[in-house]
Amino acid sequence: MKVAFPHMGNAYIPLRALVEYLGVEAVVPERPNRVTLEKGARYAPEFVCLPFKITLGDCMNALDRGADTMAMVCGMWACRFGYYAYVQHLILRDMGYEFESLLIGREDPRLVLDKVRSAVGRGAFRKLAGAAAMFRAKAGAVEELESLARRIRPREEAMGSTDTIMTSYLEKLDRADSLRRIWQLRREQREAITSLPVRESNGMLRVRVVGELYVLLEPSLNFDLVKRLGTHFGVEAQPVLSTYRWLLSPLWLDPLLHLSSSRARRISRTYLPYILGGEEHMTITGTLDSQADGFDGVIHAYPLTCMPENICRTILPSICTARDIPLLNLCFDEHTSTVGTITRLEAFVDMLRSRREQDPSLTRLSPPL
Amino acid sequence: MSPLPVWIVCGGCGTMLQRVSQSVDADAFRDVRGDRGLRIGIPRALMFYRYYPFLKAFLESYGCNVQPSPPTNLEILGEGTDICVDDVCVAVKVLFGHVSQLAHKVDAILIPRLVSVEKRGYDTFTCPKLIAAPDMIRYSFPHLPPPLEFTVDISNAPWWWGCVRLVRRLDLPLRGIARPYMTAVREQERYEGMLRSGLLPSDALKRMYNGNGVPRPAYISEGDVIVAVVGHPYLLGDPIVNKRLIHWLDASGAKVLGSTMLSQEDLEREEPSLPPLSWSYERELLAASSSFMKRKDVDGMIYLTSFGCGPDSLVTEMVRRELKPAGDQVLMEMVLDEHSAESGVRTRAEAFVDMLRHRKKMRSNTGGVG
Repeated sequence: MKVAFPHMGNAYIPLRALVEYLGVEAVVPERPNRVTLEKGARYAPEFVCLPFKITLGDCMNALDRGADTMAMVCGMWACRFGYYAYVQHLILRDMGYEFESLLIGREDPRLVLDKVRSAVGRGAFRKLAGAAAMFRAKAGAVEELESLARRIRPREEAMGSTDTIMTSYLEKLDRADSLRRIWQLRREQREAITSLPVRESNGMLRVRVVGELYVLLEPSLNFDLVKRLGTHFGVEAQPVLSTYRWLLSPLWLDPLLHLSSSRARRISRTYLPYILGGEEHMTITGTLDSQADGFDGVIHAYPLTCMPENICRTILPSICTARDIPLLNLCFDEHTSTVGTITRLEAFVDMLRSRREQDPSLTRLSPPL
Repeated sequence: MSPLPVWIVCGGCGTMLQRVSQSVDADAFRDVRGDRGLRIGIPRALMFYRYYPFLKAFLESYGCNVQPSPPTNLEILGEGTDICVDDVCVAVKVLFGHVSQLAHKVDAILIPRLVSVEKRGYDTFTCPKLIAAPDMIRYSFPHLPPPLEFTVDISNAPWWWGCVRLVRRLDLPLRGIARPYMTAVREQERYEGMLRSGLLPSDALKRMYNGNGVPRPAYISEGDVIVAVVGHPYLLGDPIVNKRLIHWLDASGAKVLGSTMLSQEDLEREEPSLPPLSWSYERELLAASSSFMKRKDVDGMIYLTSFGCGPDSLVTEMVRRELKPAGDQVLMEMVLDEHSAESGVRTRAEAFVDMLRHRKKMRSNTGGVG
């Protein structure tokens, strides 16, 4: 049994650990890029949202590498994400690929468990507990590395030094095979990143990034928005969502995540009283909180035709006008170009800078590292 | 006691109170209502084509003056496209156009909020844009008072609860709500009966309110080929949005069966063979497609959808890949948007009917093999 799952940011590191700890081979396709997207877009429905297309391309890559089981989360929500796996697997089978589907969340959980047990063999439950621990440890380590890098990157003395460290530690984390090793790496990476030479950072611009989960977290779709803002523009960009959050909140492995998302639901209820199935509560609350959290502006990134985010898109301008929050809407599809996105980011950052020049009271001290 | 449980308890109670007060608040309409009834505008878009007779009858028995917006024209479509965000479906853009038509002409604009419309073993929803339609309108038209909502959330509350909330919101007496409710239900049944008879939503509404003098359209009875058109009522019912597709099919000599004519029993029969889908209206379309595909007398099917329709982007794929036609029905997907041109739709409709006719002739010549 060779299990494959689509990419999303650095989620492959904890997911690979989970699968491999169970003694099953994991097939991780190459990181998605424009070619993957084009491949997926060729076979995907025309106006489905962008993550569908890129994950379809990803599945094709994984199947070409010899995967025989495709794992994917799905469910019955108002958002399209719940049906991704079902429709993607229909398309892939029509294309002639042969594989087994492991639809987590849609099928009876007992069925999924049975499949896991038959693949893992004896002692499945014991192994599952160990795998969950590894999964959580790696997810936590990746999250820490990412968040440290987001803070340090705009302040770094030598351009790109943070990313060099980050790449090497992501690789080490991916290879780590024990909890002890993960903890050791976590200490090392913290040390390595915080000891980088940094510039004086007072008055640095900070931007919050809200929007659709996949576009926010997958660098190949958003043209590496967060990294680009940090390295090239010297702007600290903080997404409201993270891979860690997405992976751990459905598993109830971190209660804090639930508190923050129920708070978000409560706050966004004034604007959207009913659940739409996406991350709309985080988008609305993230925007509402952005000033109090010390951000200069908000970037709203979403894929073309995304249903929950389109609804947010109609609501955000009125919030931002009322509260005087600068807002940039970035809509991504397979035709979006790097240059167009960069030009808009540049203009947005310039606008934030000139706002501060005109009104010095907007300049806040950046929070300490 | 630690702050966390206290916070959870207080937060929870606060939310519940907020929920209750939301349904009770606002005497905003007490001043507006004089001797004449309150003028309530209903935009002719989205769920208008499903529930207008119900809402009209219900509000009119309470003495309100219900005013639908005028039928869609190109100006309304253009206005909606201007106001609305770019990448939603054309039906939502039309809703925006209609709301701006009604603005300042009525005392309140009623927008149905359909969260879930049926109870099943699993969660059911409608499209997120129907769930959040009043919110989108509210924040896109900041100079208008918040729209009236008619909330349908069958998986949590019965249908009449929406009526109670509406009446409370309008500050009308709850006592004696049963009579208006029953009148409204009867009107809705009459409308649905007309739909069952094969009339498309726009024609059914015309017949309902302009009397039986309106002639029965030709597409119901005559035609040498039978074309089934599957699509949301707001696409089938709005000739500006579907660019008079039905008219062109009719003019080419086809008999048209709309997906709106299928009864709940017809759709329920298809249920076991369908993949579970939590969008109720899209599952209806899937069931309708499946039902038409099984009918030997149907020659071809057009699946009508609008560009950017979230659920339909996946459902068309399911229709195309999962449903097996019983005979040799042909499936055509037609995607509409605000840039669709009437001549384009006309050409495609004519070509489709010609092709079906040709196939039929070939088949009868070759003895059913062709």
